[in-house]
Amino acid sequence: MSGPGKNTAPEATGHCLCGAVRYRVFAPLRPASACHCTQCRRQHGALGIYSGGLPVESVVIEGTEHLRWYQSSAAARRGFCGHCGSKLFWQPMDQRSIDIAVGSLDQPTGLSLARHIFVADKGDYYEIVDDLPKSPGSKAA
Amino acid sequence: MSQIRQLPTHGQGHCLCGAIRFEIDGPMRDVVVCHCGQCRRQHGSPPGYTQAAWEHVRLAGEEALTWYRSSEKARRGFCRICGSSLFWEPIGTGRVSIAAGSLDSPTGLKTIRHIFVADKGDYYQIQDGLEQLSGSMLTASRA
Repeated sequence: MSGPGKNTAPEATGHCLCGAVRYRVFAPLRPASACHCTQCRRQHGALGIYSGGLPVESVVIEGTEHLRWYQSSAAARRGFCGHCGSKLFWQPMDQRSIDIAVGSLDQPTGLSLARHIFVADKGDYYEIVDDLPKSPGSKAA
Repeated sequence: MSQIRQLPTHGQGHCLCGAIRFEIDGPMRDVVVCHCGQCRRQHGSPPGYTQAAWEHVRLAGEEALTWYRSSEKARRGFCRICGSSLFWEPIGTGRVSIAAGSLDSPTGLKTIRHIFVADKGDYYQIQDGLEQLSGSMLTASRA
């Protein structure tokens, strides 16, 4: 089995609100993106703030029996705790990488917000007032 | 003197998969963003909530709604199929906070305040100049 050895210290840890699902990250976290797309806003009830693109083998999840996946598009699925409803993961369907919802990380995260994406789908009930880069669609757009 | 703005008295929304739908026919509060650790864990980011009286909220698809008792005082409602966070209910008050992200656009709402900013995450800044409270609106201590 490849992946982190049990004596390696994780770069980051996190868990859902009730603690049923816990994870350890054995790769450096990437700067966070705030996603304003309607899918993220519906599911989070808020923005989707993710540290993305982590190699899937670098994230070790415990309590996977409580983790539910919802396929939200042809391209991706979203992982949440079936017990408390906490949003934890966004994952492309090839399952080679995984994004972590930053609110689920233990503090301090050492992260900072780097960009806003899908700002064309922004809600009407808030403004984006910082000077970070903004993309109308995904960061590739 | 500031211009008096009419708050919306109708709203509707649904979870991401559409299993749970709701309609509000009654006064809706402007949006308050909560930075407490519980909200940030459950939503995955700091959520903005409007609020209404339960008696003005009509729900459809309630069988998909799961409640999680997150504290002695409150419970959180989410869709068991898609995981969408919809409601925060202060138990026994007759009121319900509704996650602004679940509302259909246009909402006609504005964000007016940040609460529990003492528990804010380290990965973002609050820069919009709106009122900030270190705790809840009840304790009302300024940050």
